Amino acid sequence: MSYELTYEEMNHVFDSLRLHYKIYAPKRLKNAGRYCNTDIIRYKEIRSLEEIEWNERSQYSPKEVFYPINQTLFHFTEYGFMESQIFDKDLLIFARSCDIHGIKRLDKIFLENGNEVDPYYKRMRDKVHFILMECPEEGWESCACCSMGTNKTDDYDLAIRPYEEEGRVLVECKSDQFTSIFNTYPKTTYQPAFVKKNETVIHVPKITEDMVADIYAFDMWKDYQTRCIGCGACNSVCITCSCFNTIDTTYTENGKSGERRRTWTGCMNDGFTTVNGGHAFRDDYQDRMRFKTMHKVYDFQKRFKTDYQMCVGCGRCDDICPEYISFTHIINRLYEEVEARKEAKADE
Amino acid sequence: MAKDMNIGALRTNCFRQSKVKGEYMLQMRVPAGLIEAKYLDFVQHLATTYGDGTFHFGSRQCFAIPGIKYENIDKVNKELKDYLEDIEVAQCGVDMDTSAGYPTIGARNIMACIGGIHCIKANINTQEIAKKIEKEVFPSHYHIKVAVAGCPNDCAKGHFNDFGIVGLTKPIYDPDLCIGCGSCVKACESHATRVLSMVNNRIEKDACCCVGCGECTLVCPTNAMRRSPKPFYRILIGGRTGKQYPRMGKTFADFLSEEAVLAIIKNWQAFSADVLKGQPRYLHGGHLLDMAGYEKFKEMMLKNVTLNPEARIAENVYFAETEYRGRIHVKPVK
Repeated sequence: MSYELTYEEMNHVFDSLRLHYKIYAPKRLKNAGRYCNTDIIRYKEIRSLEEIEWNERSQYSPKEVFYPINQTLFHFTEYGFMESQIFDKDLLIFARSCDIHGIKRLDKIFLENGNEVDPYYKRMRDKVHFILMECPEEGWESCACCSMGTNKTDDYDLAIRPYEEEGRVLVECKSDQFTSIFNTYPKTTYQPAFVKKNETVIHVPKITEDMVADIYAFDMWKDYQTRCIGCGACNSVCITCSCFNTIDTTYTENGKSGERRRTWTGCMNDGFTTVNGGHAFRDDYQDRMRFKTMHKVYDFQKRFKTDYQMCVGCGRCDDICPEYISFTHIINRLYEEVEARKEAKADE
Repeated sequence: MAKDMNIGALRTNCFRQSKVKGEYMLQMRVPAGLIEAKYLDFVQHLATTYGDGTFHFGSRQCFAIPGIKYENIDKVNKELKDYLEDIEVAQCGVDMDTSAGYPTIGARNIMACIGGIHCIKANINTQEIAKKIEKEVFPSHYHIKVAVAGCPNDCAKGHFNDFGIVGLTKPIYDPDLCIGCGSCVKACESHATRVLSMVNNRIEKDACCCVGCGECTLVCPTNAMRRSPKPFYRILIGGRTGKQYPRMGKTFADFLSEEAVLAIIKNWQAFSADVLKGQPRYLHGGHLLDMAGYEKFKEMMLKNVTLNPEARIAENVYFAETEYRGRIHVKPVK
């Protein structure tokens, strides 16, 4: 069922929801961007509609709301340990279709990878409810959700469309738990609209296991040895990157107590593949780029036998790269190379 | 007929004496070195109509048009009116008569790098602050050379001006967002002053010597190290080139707010008048500083200035001059 509310009414709804939920949405942080006089948009806890940035995609994904960059797993002393605790409230997260799909990929990795469910992920993930945000008709320049099949979703509790200038919102409520909040407001026929076409098109290469060794040897990777600087910004913004380091930290004032913490890392960062003794399996940037690409459009699908790839085509990695490397371009380049190899094999 | 030409008055009018008698070079101010490209047509018109058809990138980022005949100077000044009205009056808010060309050569063209409208390293919009400074120093007969740099790289060469204004940031670190990748530590080590280190997978900073360049914010993958919402400024003083004792400028003030920078620059006229006893001479800023001494300079330049809490002022400055005449400072006591 859908309803129409004024901004004021919706903000009152937020007030009552905040008794049980922490509400997170993309927010514009003025002048906090990488370059001077530029902003950044990232997820923050909000209290009102006015705080939300609707018109641009956030640079950072919503994953940091429930999978924090730093998470303390337990605290320890020389005699014992205590598991970390989290807040009681549930989470209401404003998210776009691609992100909701992306979080499904995270679920695979944290909840279905091997026999153990990751409890620190699960305890936060179980709290998450989505408020769908719509996108511009074709998304933004680097969006490729249509290519990756992530442009539509029905996995949300609420959908909100703002009419900022008119000070009103349309709300679709799909979940029984919120119906009582809205049913006093006027009903509408609002249904969220989804992106049907993007400017950026990704051609996903069809890779079989026998091609992998050849793909490793492709010349195209060499480009990224000098172009990539291994900063890992692409991993940080990616809604589907899940890797972390686990670090035991002892407190500087008392080295006998401390905490075990997990902290995001990424396959593009230094030290990601470094093992005891100092050897790193992918020291070269070209190898890291190859690994990341293959993970996003081959390895994940192979492991989880899904009918979708890991990459959701959100385009954030394209936008954040300080060296202006386009990941969607890399996938398309790999597609071309793979097709050329198939033709060459057929000719043999 | 023989011409009687007052080269001093013409110089003040920004027409520079030429080795060819009767010819002059016009120096057109381009505050911060950025201008709408449409004015290139105007420069071409002046150069081909009144000059010798050539044009020089003035060494202080002005348009320099050589070969202008003495008898055409009045005509050129009349043609300059619209340019002055737009560039000086409308864009910089300068209070001046625009009917007779430039009223003074005292305050030289304010130089600037391209800065924050383009450069990835910049911490400030250099044109914005340069135009605000232009309003404070021009037109004045006291000589002053100012350059504005977007970051401590100082491509604008503020180190060789009476006043070098350098855009800074004061990075804010949020440990909750930090993944401990060490990119900022490496960037600081290779580009800046090696003030960052990693302790327990978090970043520690030796705040003594951060130059405010922002290199750490450029490389951070999670925005854990981010720019301060407002930029800050360094003022370098006393830099100069010259035949006798060129020297590089030294830091007078660090991490100033924009308001503090402008309040300091506002004091320049009173300081110059005090040192030169109200009689402007062809002697620019650094020499006035030498005549007054740093203590006096500091006292007068900080008068009625409200410093922001982050601001730092140099207790003293220690210039290192290249003395082309040895022991040039050792003189009889007057």
